[in-house]
Amino acid sequence: MRRLGSFTVSLLGLGLLVACQERLSSPAECPQLCPGTSLVVFDTVITATAGLDSSFTGYVGADQAPALLVSDGISAGEARAFATFPRRSDSVSIAGILTPVSVDSVALTTQLLARDSTVTGLKIFYYRVTPDLDSTVTLAALDAMMTPDNLIDSLLVSDTLRRGPLRLIVKRDDLGRLAGSDADSGRFGLGIRIKAPQPTGVRLGSILSVQGGPVLIGYGSVVTLDTAQQHQTLTTTADKSNYVIEPPAISPDGLVVGGKLGTRIILRFDIPRRIRDSATVLRATLELTPVGPIPGLRNDPIALQVRGVLVDLGAKSPALSTLVSSGTLLADSTDVQLVEVFSIVSAWFTPGSKAPTTLLMAVVPEGGSFGRPEFVSTADPVNGPRLRITYALPSRPGHP
Amino acid sequence: MRLLTTLGAAMLLGAPLAAQSSQFGTRGLGIPLSPISVRATGLGGGFSLFDAQSALNPASIGEVLFLNASFQTVQSWRHSESPAGSASISDNRYPGVFVAGPIGGTPLSVSLSASGYTDRNFVLASRDTLILRGVPVESFDTISSQGGLSDLRLAVALRQSSAIQWGVGFHMIPGSNRIVSHRAFADTTYSGASERFTYSYLGFGISAGVVARIGKYLTLAGMVRADNRVKVELDSASLGHAKLPMTFSGGARLQLGDRVLVAGSALYRNWSTSSADLVRLGGIGSVNTTELSAGVEYYPDPKRPTKHPFRFGVRHATLPFPLRLGDKTSETAVSAGTSFRFVAGRAGLDMALQQLWRKGGAGFTERATLLTLGVSVRP
Repeated sequence: MRRLGSFTVSLLGLGLLVACQERLSSPAECPQLCPGTSLVVFDTVITATAGLDSSFTGYVGADQAPALLVSDGISAGEARAFATFPRRSDSVSIAGILTPVSVDSVALTTQLLARDSTVTGLKIFYYRVTPDLDSTVTLAALDAMMTPDNLIDSLLVSDTLRRGPLRLIVKRDDLGRLAGSDADSGRFGLGIRIKAPQPTGVRLGSILSVQGGPVLIGYGSVVTLDTAQQHQTLTTTADKSNYVIEPPAISPDGLVVGGKLGTRIILRFDIPRRIRDSATVLRATLELTPVGPIPGLRNDPIALQVRGVLVDLGAKSPALSTLVSSGTLLADSTDVQLVEVFSIVSAWFTPGSKAPTTLLMAVVPEGGSFGRPEFVSTADPVNGPRLRITYALPSRPGHP
Repeated sequence: MRLLTTLGAAMLLGAPLAAQSSQFGTRGLGIPLSPISVRATGLGGGFSLFDAQSALNPASIGEVLFLNASFQTVQSWRHSESPAGSASISDNRYPGVFVAGPIGGTPLSVSLSASGYTDRNFVLASRDTLILRGVPVESFDTISSQGGLSDLRLAVALRQSSAIQWGVGFHMIPGSNRIVSHRAFADTTYSGASERFTYSYLGFGISAGVVARIGKYLTLAGMVRADNRVKVELDSASLGHAKLPMTFSGGARLQLGDRVLVAGSALYRNWSTSSADLVRLGGIGSVNTTELSAGVEYYPDPKRPTKHPFRFGVRHATLPFPLRLGDKTSETAVSAGTSFRFVAGRAGLDMALQQLWRKGGAGFTERATLLTLGVSVRP
């Protein structure tokens, strides 16, 4: 009897294991065959809440430039860069004895981060400027220092070089141009501008960029019996780097993003409750109408980053790193700019979500891009910022 | 006792699972199922009014002399065709569990069974083109349903004499349809979307039947069943009710010599009583159904009729829920089966193989092969 019971229970268990293993799918001729319709898709445009859109600036410190912008005649504005170096060492330690180095040449290295590769004949000019420069210097003041008398040298950039190191070699006879004066405690200031047959610009590495800022490398020799140590290099990295730019004026009603000091736009949307409660977002696109041609550097796309916020505290709203979308804007474009923001907007629709329906926009790298778009604000109800949301509402198919 | 407890638990587990997933189960409450044993299935359903292991006629358990339990599983292979295309599908389900036995010292027998009342398992796939943001975008839609209605029956039969048995059954009809609808797009800038919800059902019914032996060779049987309204809920929100049909069935069994037994039956359900309720729930209604079945069982060894009998049956039934308004849907099946006994006849394995054809409206057809296996034990 017990064996029979075990047999039965085993069969039952086996049956339960294999139950419901199925492969089901029939082609359907809907709506004739389908019991109800599939999710119903709608499209709506929600304009940003009027009067609650703003631009806030100051997210990047005046001396915290992540890149050095240098331009000549582009719509984004004139820009010059500068860097300062501490007193250069003139000796090395050999066997614990400080030994003077006789420098033969110096390489001035800067990192090219981006350029308009369609512009040929790009030339970079390096000037000797005062090492007392800081973020308060103006373009005019810097230009005034970059005279032919202060020219260190110029470098013709290879037309095929898109990014990488730029090396200017200064030989023995001209080394004095790179030397700091005693009046400045040996500190040295470097000014950078460019020239090209057409308006253009470059982005160079700053002391805060991953690629590094300007570097001086002295090549020389020492008097020593150890032939392996006769040739020496002396490396001096810039201790300060920055740029100055004169951007075009903005319209009073425009929304600006980008710029040297990191200007951000905050937009707020009022999503109708009937949609937010029951819809599933299929696609969400932020539409922004530029006031005019987008200032920037051609062939150096502008990355516009859109983020959701944890709480809406206005300019100090903490941006969520998990809800990020980005779009690419092109300089001089006048088209309506589209940024897909599905990941952010769909989070607003999550059941129980209390996430503010607020978007925070910035240009990346913040403070290190020529891109400084200006968009029509909610003052213009037709062309103001708007969200185009394609969503699905439940249709509850499958009725008996 | 422990065995019965186990079987009872299995009955509850198996109850929501049904058989015969089909595109013809998309409408109404699905495809009606027959609460019959593997033996009766092999006989085309013709013996179901007389079969002691089927839950159609409560009087039939009057023949039960020993406690016995059985359960079955069905593997089906199906090929569906519709104007939208064709597909080959397979699935595996439990159609039922059955326990019956005599009440000692009385002429009564009792049974507890769980079987399918209707089956509503399907997955439908379709495609469409939507205009989104002014651009045509192809969409791919699937809608799936899992579940159906179950029939839990407690039946009691009285052996009035060796010739007449009466029976009455009390039915609980729970069920659910777990619906998942998904829409995806060819343009990947659009995310897919899904919705999931559950239709729940609960109804009750009562049935009564009789089996009467007329002379030595002929036995007649009949049953009537009345099910009340089934309550329909959508995610616990009440949607209303749907009336369930009355069932009338009658049949005859004839013994031809020692080796051959033949039977036939007819069944009628007034499913049209549900039509108005189903329309109100969003469906397209229902129609009355009839079912005719007949079977023959041949015993190679008349002294041991359970040893490798040969069973053959045919069945034709109309279906209550048309795919499209005005369509007539029906199914026709031929079946064959046999059985094996083990452990001195205390355990058995029954099997039935059915070939089934369904059709409904223009272009909707289905061909299915169903292998039903049943295990029965007599403690």
